[in-house]
Amino acid sequence: MSEHDPHQHSNSGHSDAGHSDAGHGHVKLEYQPALPLSNGKTIMWLFLSTEIMFFAGLIGTYIVLRFGAVAWPEPHTVHLSEPIGAFNTFVLICSSVTVVLALECARANKAAAAKGWMVLTFVLGCVFLGVKGYEYNAKFSHGIYPKLPRSQIWEKAGIRYVAAVRDRLDQVITEISTDLTVAGGPKTAEGRQQLALDTQAAEVQKKIAKFQADLKQPSDKTEGETAAANALAAENKKLDEIKAQMPLTIARDLKQRVRKVELLSAQQPALFASKNPALPPPGQATLDALAEEIYPPHHSEFTPEGDPHAMKPNPPEGINDRYPWLKLPIKISGGNMWASTYFLLTGFHALHVIVGLIVFAIMLTLTLNASRAGMIENIGLYWHFVDLVWIFLFPLLYLF
Amino acid sequence: MSDHGTTHSDTLSAGAGAHGADSHADHAPHGGSIRTYIAVFIALCVLTSGSFMTYTELWRTHFSSHVGWAFMMAISCSKAMLVILFFMHLKYEANWKYVLTIPAGFMSVFLALMLVPDIGMRFWHYSHERLEFCALPQNTSHAAPGHAAPPAPTTAAPATNPAPEAPSEHEGK
Repeated sequence: MSEHDPHQHSNSGHSDAGHSDAGHGHVKLEYQPALPLSNGKTIMWLFLSTEIMFFAGLIGTYIVLRFGAVAWPEPHTVHLSEPIGAFNTFVLICSSVTVVLALECARANKAAAAKGWMVLTFVLGCVFLGVKGYEYNAKFSHGIYPKLPRSQIWEKAGIRYVAAVRDRLDQVITEISTDLTVAGGPKTAEGRQQLALDTQAAEVQKKIAKFQADLKQPSDKTEGETAAANALAAENKKLDEIKAQMPLTIARDLKQRVRKVELLSAQQPALFASKNPALPPPGQATLDALAEEIYPPHHSEFTPEGDPHAMKPNPPEGINDRYPWLKLPIKISGGNMWASTYFLLTGFHALHVIVGLIVFAIMLTLTLNASRAGMIENIGLYWHFVDLVWIFLFPLLYLF
Repeated sequence: MSDHGTTHSDTLSAGAGAHGADSHADHAPHGGSIRTYIAVFIALCVLTSGSFMTYTELWRTHFSSHVGWAFMMAISCSKAMLVILFFMHLKYEANWKYVLTIPAGFMSVFLALMLVPDIGMRFWHYSHERLEFCALPQNTSHAAPGHAAPPAPTTAAPATNPAPEAPSEHEGK
């Protein structure tokens, strides 16, 4: 472009004034920039164009998978909060503005002001990551992971699901029982709770034994006798209450119930084999009820079809919410694919945010005067692109 | 993007003239003013609250989810254009911007479109029975979360399941 530029001659004449002597006999090479922009910016834009393809590939794949899926969880079922997502969008937009203002200040050679805006950008980026971490934690604490060893997600409440619930309860019971025998006291919170409740129960049982002994004594005062009987009843009630809180009791009671459901559904296929296999088995309702009791479906607050008075009440507390240590398998239809795409998309985005923050941290050690403007422009371009990706991710992940 | 194209020929020649010899020239002559950035920032905030509006009860009582999706994508594209044009200064750049952005844009659209027949339509021709069971994990010991121990002997119960319940090709993991 610049070869044909009329300004070129005057420019080169000015800059090459000292090289015009032909006495050395060296070949004079005159370098001309091919594009009207610096090398750094050229390379940054080339990099960004590959990034466009990278993220567009990821987002496009998400859209294709999501709309091709048989089932897809509602945002609330997987603990996505729309206001938090909107807040994070706002934070990133603000950081885009601050980085652009840092660039303007650097161009005007106001190094202190540029540093101030850069600090603000860095802080906003950290806020974004912090909120992201909080959101990730909300998923992890509910057993929503992208991969199996930790993921508790099941697609369907079938007979295999109920078997997995029972397996998990077995495992919990074994874990707590072995934990109680460990030298130096139980290692897990459930084990300690079990031990504490065991001690309490033993004390109450001692009292009960004493009251029972008192009652057996022939007593002349009937008042005392009724008082002792009342005290005995109260202590018995207390004992029952303590026992009901024991992790082992909870797990064993639940296992009995699950076992009943399992046996019921195990009989169904045989009974049902001769009939239409396309219909759901008759035990399905029981299985679905169990799955809902463990992990109630958290619908969005509004019905999609739009009856304003049909706002769904808060979901009842699930077994997993009440006893987080049980970590029972949960049924979320389409949940596995959701978790894979969600963590891939937000993970790669967060990775880009982290890289941006590292560069910002390095820039904070420099004097951000006019000579650094090109540098700030380049990292700014990258940061705006990260913002751009989030602009698409926010509605796609939270509001679709 | 194309509506800005015509206004750039003059910017381009001026830019090339100013930077032809000096690749490290600062780009101060182009770019928006602080006022432009503030205006863009306000516009971005308004647009964000616009897409957040689809979450409100009022929106959901009046529009179907498809309208909401189209609306949100329109808003996202507008926001993206604002960021690209003003914050990334692409409005003020020379024509090289088309070389870098348009092919990348095409590539990304094709990339997604190429997935549609195999991935997007993967459930279109499934039998009812296969749909019924497509999302089942393959076997209990593999899919039961949190433990690698072999299933207890009592797992015999699920084994009475008819084979068709576990198709070899299933969706999910």
